[in-house]
Amino acid sequence: MSSYAKSILFALITAVICSLLLTAGAAGLKQRQLENIEVDKKKNILRAVGLLESSAAVSKEKIQEIYKQSIRSLWVSPDGQIMDAATVPEKSLPIYLYVKDQQVAAYILPINTRGLWGKIFGYLAIERDGSTVAGFTVYKHSETPGLGGEIEKDWFQKNFEGKQILDRMGNLVSVSIAKGYLPDSFPQDKLPNYVDGISGATLTGKFLTAGLKEVLLEYEPVSIQFRSQQTIQIEEP
Amino acid sequence: MKLTKTKHFRAFSVPLLQENPISIQMLGICSALAVTVQLKTAIVMSLSLTFVLSFSNLTISLLRHVIPRNIRMIVELSVIASLVIIADEVLRAFLYDISKQLSVFVGLIITNCIVMGRAETYALGNPPGLSFLDGLGNGAGYGSVLISVAFIRELLGSGKLLGYQVIPNLAYKLGYEDMGFMLLAPAAFIIIGLLVWLQNTLTGNK
Repeated sequence: MSSYAKSILFALITAVICSLLLTAGAAGLKQRQLENIEVDKKKNILRAVGLLESSAAVSKEKIQEIYKQSIRSLWVSPDGQIMDAATVPEKSLPIYLYVKDQQVAAYILPINTRGLWGKIFGYLAIERDGSTVAGFTVYKHSETPGLGGEIEKDWFQKNFEGKQILDRMGNLVSVSIAKGYLPDSFPQDKLPNYVDGISGATLTGKFLTAGLKEVLLEYEPVSIQFRSQQTIQIEEP
Repeated sequence: MKLTKTKHFRAFSVPLLQENPISIQMLGICSALAVTVQLKTAIVMSLSLTFVLSFSNLTISLLRHVIPRNIRMIVELSVIASLVIIADEVLRAFLYDISKQLSVFVGLIITNCIVMGRAETYALGNPPGLSFLDGLGNGAGYGSVLISVAFIRELLGSGKLLGYQVIPNLAYKLGYEDMGFMLLAPAAFIIIGLLVWLQNTLTGNK
């Protein structure tokens, strides 16, 4: 056998063995990984409404338990009605409610938006006044570690707490991410609608700002209901 | 023959200190800067690298007589890449939070010069047992530097070790402050530099 043929044969065998090993590994661990991802999502929902400290080490079971107690996963129809199941599947939006003492304390919107390098997934929790941000978390993204990747850090996410999605006139303006830190000279009346940005990650901030606005517009019918202080009915399961 | 004089022992111990991959050969610095903010991530990273390094050395050494010379680097790379992906998948299944913190850096073990370097210079020319020990030794050498750096950074930067508060609250009340600088990448550079200096002074290297 010529040396070329031998090389090609060897490369083929190596490739087959490696791919078999990888497939076996990936398939065998898939179940556990999916479970971890599920728990991680729930953890982020809990963090968005402040039920869980990000640094706290909490067991999977505990997270499942708190989640089951306080969070209701529901759907929103296009006209803003909250329903148990998605009647018009393509047009319904998922929503999570934080239930405290039989009352809705906050509602949580899933964020699924464009970033610089890929999609950014997270949650935005809004208090029942329909305007104050209760929290913001990111659980999956592909931004550059150290730059845009900072969106997953506490310091960045904490900035969202207490911000307003409405301006003074009551119009929906969403929360925007500034370019770098907010300067001291920043106009006071706009302060509730802006958070500190990340230097070196202007584009990530831009995309996330646009994405947050988009999501909030989509969910505006629900927010309006909360703002008008209509009591949102939730029957016990 | 004494244990410390055997070939096998030396294969393991030389890369620990005398030929330490980070402090002497200056390889793998990139990940040493990135994952040493916390002790926990540094330990997991060291273990992952040691796993990849020793098994890639073992595999390549077992194959060293059959790998065709002209495609040897490609073969080495596919072995290393497969092992890295396996390590990453295992972390994702069992240590999800840490694997999220390590983000790309486990994947980047593929490009870590230590792994390819040991495969090329050692595993291709030595029997499997020695190669495996060489991998363990280099992994431990890498790990020892990473863990020392992370120890200093986590202690001074956030007053914690492995996530537990070790600097008492009293100290903060008396005016002690965490060094925010320790949490930034340049701090790791400086600490590694000091460690290299210390080691060279102790061993008399110039």
